[in-house]
Amino acid sequence: MAVTVRIPTPLRRLTQNQAEVEAAGSNVESIIDNLEANYPGMKERICDESGDIRRFVNVYLDDEDIRFLDGKATAVKDGAEISIIPAIAGGHRK
Amino acid sequence: MLELQAETLDGIYAHAKETFPDECCGVILSDGNVEFVRRCKNIQNEQHAKDPETYPRDARTAYLMAPDDLIKIHKEAETENRPIKAFYHSHPNHDAYFSEKDKEDATAWDEPMYPNTAYVVVSIYDQEIQVTRAYAWSDVTDDFVEVQMNTNQS
Repeated sequence: MAVTVRIPTPLRRLTQNQAEVEAAGSNVESIIDNLEANYPGMKERICDESGDIRRFVNVYLDDEDIRFLDGKATAVKDGAEISIIPAIAGGHRK
Repeated sequence: MLELQAETLDGIYAHAKETFPDECCGVILSDGNVEFVRRCKNIQNEQHAKDPETYPRDARTAYLMAPDDLIKIHKEAETENRPIKAFYHSHPNHDAYFSEKDKEDATAWDEPMYPNTAYVVVSIYDQEIQVTRAYAWSDVTDDFVEVQMNTNQS
């Protein structure tokens, strides 16, 4: 099954500057694995050492944050759109 | 250099006053002519309440843009052809510096997440806006540096 994945600016170096790539998989986890196979280095940037999505990375399935779906196990249908958007955060000196 | 319209700053200041003493945060979109201030919910309090170990700060000293707001703004930027011009947040009862935490959170995978986008920081003390400064990534210094900010009357 093919889906479209939207790549954030800092990760486009891995995708030869493509903002959108195609990936295959039946859930978010297998799509990340497929991205890693085609664009090595992608997985370690999206996931931490234990394989969980990094805290500062938001992954969306058709505009829904996958944290509020089934996380990495979220099923993905053919033609869906996955967006990867780094979190925007900060704070002042304590 | 960052040029912002006076109405844009007014919108940011109104937001900073409303959320005081918590930090406000949002995104400025621009179609090249008109600027759009898009407020984001700061979910730092919720995160702090759920997981204080991972999120030791609450919204008085930190911000985290709600992911739901962020995707909507990204979609608007794309479908309406209004690219992201800048991010903004407030520092309640603090100066408008770009803190170590601001830098750390604006960096991912050892590089700036949005190398071409300015970050506007508003200092607000007791409901009064004090000073506003803008910062952006510099390839020369390999760091975030202050950039000149000009205000235009539209």
